[in-house]
Amino acid sequence: MGGVWLIRRIAAAAAIVFAVVSITFVAIHLAPGSPFLPPPDRPLDTAVVARLNRQFGLDQPIRVQYVRYLKNLAHGNLGYAFSRGQTVRAALATTIPDTLLLAGTALSLDLGLGLILGVVLAARARRATDVILSNLTLFIYSVPAFWLGLVLVFVFADWLHWFPGGFTNTPGLYENLPFFGQLGDRLHHLALPALTLGLVGAAGTARYQRAALLETLGREFVRTARAKGVRERRVILVHALRNSLLPLITLAGLSLPFLLTGSVLIESVFSWPGMGRMATDAVLARDHALVSGIAMVASAMVVTGSLVADVLYAAADPRIRERAT
Amino acid sequence: MNFRVSLLAIGALPLALGCSSSGSCKGDYCGTVVFVTANNPKTLLPPVIDNTGARDIDEQLFLRLADPGMTTNTIGDSGWVPRLATRWEWDDPKTLVFHLDPRARWHDGVPVTANDVAFSFDAYRDPVVNSAARNSLTKIASVTVRDSVTAVFRFKEQYPTAFYDAVYQMWVIPQHLLAQVPRTDWLTAAYGMHPIGDGPYRFVSMVPGQTLELVADSTFFQGRPHLRRLVWKFVTGSTVAVNDIATGQADAIDFLGSPANIDLARKTPGMSLVPYPGSNYMYLELNTRANGDSSEPHPVFGDRDVRRALTMALDRQAMSTNVFGSYSKVPPGPIPQWWPIWDSVRTLPFDSAGAARLLASRGWRLSADGFRSKDSVRLSFEVIFTSTSGARQAYARLMQAQWKSVGVDMQIQPLDQNLIQDRLSSGKFDAVLQGFNSDPTPASGIVQHWTRGAPDHYSHWVNDDFDRLVTQATSVASAKQSKLYWRAALNIINADAPGIWLAAPDNVAAVASRIADVRLRPDSYWALAWTWRIPADRLIDRDR
Repeated sequence: MGGVWLIRRIAAAAAIVFAVVSITFVAIHLAPGSPFLPPPDRPLDTAVVARLNRQFGLDQPIRVQYVRYLKNLAHGNLGYAFSRGQTVRAALATTIPDTLLLAGTALSLDLGLGLILGVVLAARARRATDVILSNLTLFIYSVPAFWLGLVLVFVFADWLHWFPGGFTNTPGLYENLPFFGQLGDRLHHLALPALTLGLVGAAGTARYQRAALLETLGREFVRTARAKGVRERRVILVHALRNSLLPLITLAGLSLPFLLTGSVLIESVFSWPGMGRMATDAVLARDHALVSGIAMVASAMVVTGSLVADVLYAAADPRIRERAT
Repeated sequence: MNFRVSLLAIGALPLALGCSSSGSCKGDYCGTVVFVTANNPKTLLPPVIDNTGARDIDEQLFLRLADPGMTTNTIGDSGWVPRLATRWEWDDPKTLVFHLDPRARWHDGVPVTANDVAFSFDAYRDPVVNSAARNSLTKIASVTVRDSVTAVFRFKEQYPTAFYDAVYQMWVIPQHLLAQVPRTDWLTAAYGMHPIGDGPYRFVSMVPGQTLELVADSTFFQGRPHLRRLVWKFVTGSTVAVNDIATGQADAIDFLGSPANIDLARKTPGMSLVPYPGSNYMYLELNTRANGDSSEPHPVFGDRDVRRALTMALDRQAMSTNVFGSYSKVPPGPIPQWWPIWDSVRTLPFDSAGAARLLASRGWRLSADGFRSKDSVRLSFEVIFTSTSGARQAYARLMQAQWKSVGVDMQIQPLDQNLIQDRLSSGKFDAVLQGFNSDPTPASGIVQHWTRGAPDHYSHWVNDDFDRLVTQATSVASAKQSKLYWRAALNIINADAPGIWLAAPDNVAAVASRIADVRLRPDSYWALAWTWRIPADRLIDRDR
């Protein structure tokens, strides 16, 4: 793999992030409203809103605000998040770990469960197990993640009381727990949102993996292995599976944007205090600086994920590596 | 291990990992109450707070000179409870003197003095600070310091709610901590995220959008609070909040809302319902000027008789029952249930036949398509409302169906709240379905919405008699006389129908049954939480 290729890809990724931030900045500033509007049931004093807009430079032309934003950005200053009463940097630092925890767990579920299911489906191709599981995965893949989340909340939180319906921990109790108690409390709260995001992803991954494995199972080297008397389990798990994993790397890279966009809704459904929920609140509150900051971080995460997937793909496949050099 | 057993094992994981509390509190001063709310505070600095979430927290951190009692009387000082002030007296009809409790201390140990009171008044009145209470303090001429524990309020005139304005509109804030902070920066001041108050609870920590924790001040001069900790949990919306109550993740929610939520809380073991008088009302405000052109009358709502007909065509009681079950009343004017002027004023009756006749008499004739028109113009208008409110969605559909039956074409337009505010400010709307959460006195709410030149006067409806009566009601010294003026004013606005008063919901809170001495003050639900307690035999893990 060539260094030039990598530098080009990094430059392209940076350009994408810059474009996303710029478009988001303009879009949110063009939307009607102000971060200083009072709640709907309080009196609106337009003179006060105008004064606050002036005080914080929001009355300036967009191009002036944009240039100032970029200058501040160059100094690491992302601005102030009025909807949260803290700097954008502090708001992101608080929420990114929770989003990464949720997305990371969901991605692990997505790939792990999807891989296992894909192997089962391919091994039992065109049998009853395959038909039933294929339809089930198609159904789960088809349903909106937030709907699945609501169903899981209803069944496992409201009805069975096995899991909490949301949030990252049990406020009031969590602070008093010993380390393993805190860990358990966090996992307990993580279960339903991660399962929601992970299940939908796993259903898709399983279908990809089934197709990839079936294609590999029809290849010459697999027939040779079978002819040599290698046991079917070994043929599938050792010979065929390894050669069918390549698309999974691409899929993992593509899953990241899906997980981040999915988390906007899922974090709202489960009141998970991550970046997705904060993004929804920030847009509704017309918190310009926070929306731009979230867009920057989210786009950086997506292009980084894509870049890592490309690098891994090239590392795993000599043909790609050849083309890249 | 089968699937079901596996799930049970995951569910029991916290127990397996040692989910027992390491707290060791015993006796009368234990207990943690977790409040759940969707109102995330942006700051806790009292003059610049703008939502009820921040207000509820500040009630525990800061003190007023006096607090309203459970009656929330706003005329005179009957029923008011001493807080920072131990007593007060009138030197003359326009001079009110407060004597502060010399034991009062800020949480950093500095004594609370009359200088803090004068500083607070100055800050609340400062247009740069932009306190929501600023307009309510305009009748106070000055606040001066007689000595370190005596503050003197001088009013510009004698009026019935003078005491209320002096004590209720502002919490006293620490001069020694805020005098050096430029007031232009108060909205974003660090103090607002780590306040030092003088109330029964001290600030511990806040993670914006997640949680906030207060701990009882064991040296509080009015007595140590029984509950050791108060925790606020900020969630995305009322559905999640109610779910937290149902699953025992939280102990208290101020407003359950829909009948379904109330039933859910009622069926939740260990949870009690606490009803209290409602502080809000829902109404349809009609723009009497043309949509987008305030120089012209609105083609529909510019006609008083048409507004009256539209009101009469709606069965408001049936709609209220449909949406809120038995937990709401139809208001007799633009007033919530807890205002003392809620009584038998004249209202337009539900009379769809009469409404049809009135519309016909104003030239709006039924066409072949089932809708009325006049001079080839259809009787049509658009109702806007915030898209996040389920109750307003339901009301919009019900109104649309009922008006259709008398030939009125109503278009439904749910919008983002920012867009609504934009259209209200620019007059680009026909009618807006709104809710209003009020102060304890009509002197602010009615004046603010329905009098000429008021900041939220979106209907552009003007009636000089109404304005005159409102002025008299808010300036007359006698409570009885004031009520008579209010009644006369409400009769006028009801007859002119610039708005249709739809519902005044009851407020129903849910509070964990293990908590004793629960009282909810209608104006500020959790204000008395510092007097609640949890008996030792009812403590659970998070209480210890």
